[in-house]
Amino acid sequence: MGGLEQRFPVPYKNLSVEIKGNKTDLVVCRYDDHFLVMATQIGTMGTVLHARKEQGFTVQPTFNVSVIFGKRDEPMLLAITRQLIEHISSSGSSMPLVLSLGLKDHSMDTLKGIVSAVIENRLW
Amino acid sequence: MSSPPSSSSGKALDFEAASKSAVASVESLKFKPQDDIAGGVQVTSFSEIVDEVTLHFQIIRLAKQIYVWIGSNSANLGNLYAAAPTRPNNTVSVTSILGGASDNTGSGIARRLVLKTGLNIIVACNIPKNNPMLEANAEKKLIEKLIALGYSRPKSQSSGPGLSSS
Repeated sequence: MGGLEQRFPVPYKNLSVEIKGNKTDLVVCRYDDHFLVMATQIGTMGTVLHARKEQGFTVQPTFNVSVIFGKRDEPMLLAITRQLIEHISSSGSSMPLVLSLGLKDHSMDTLKGIVSAVIENRLW
Repeated sequence: MSSPPSSSSGKALDFEAASKSAVASVESLKFKPQDDIAGGVQVTSFSEIVDEVTLHFQIIRLAKQIYVWIGSNSANLGNLYAAAPTRPNNTVSVTSILGGASDNTGSGIARRLVLKTGLNIIVACNIPKNNPMLEANAEKKLIEKLIALGYSRPKSQSSGPGLSSS
């Protein structure tokens, strides 16, 4: 059929969890130069955020987190992104993160639920 | 004088039954399973060799949106574009959301995907630019797969106001 016999080059995880009563679909992909994480409760990717580590000359890394598509007035989305990029960095990877969040509510419990679900199913 | 209990409770029961059946019909409208998406969304990954170039494809199907990644040779994410049909006139809007717009390969693919399938799409494209044959081949394989997976109907005829509608 024309397919290749070797492994597909992008490892991924695809699962579903429940966070505060909302079914949340989670997809985590590891590309060669980015991590892609999708967490959605609404059937679309929702807001897309980007986070990267800035390699400065000081000991402590700094991070740049921004919304690249969607809601720009929801600080909780940036907070989730920042927690995840810091976790990626402390796990030893310098790759940037593209995170999509399609959430029904923006409460602290949802934030904690998303962060812990992603960390539990990370590919870094 | 109190009304006979049977008729008043009869009315209440009627109302309750009517609202229950209304709710049931709305629920049945919402739950129209199209694919068996058991726990999570549907992810399809495949690779094809086209003209001696290896193309990798990843299709992630969400309920109301589709994410597509096209890679060649490397597994870099590439440039990200969002595209969707726009009212009126079924035109297509495309925007670059990561990677800048200096390379138009991905945006062309995104636009044509939406034109042919009518889906709301996010495309991550990692194809080298200035290679229209590769671009066209990638697009063709992708559309074949989308139709084979049932995510979009093949357009049998171009739609027009003059054609007969049965």
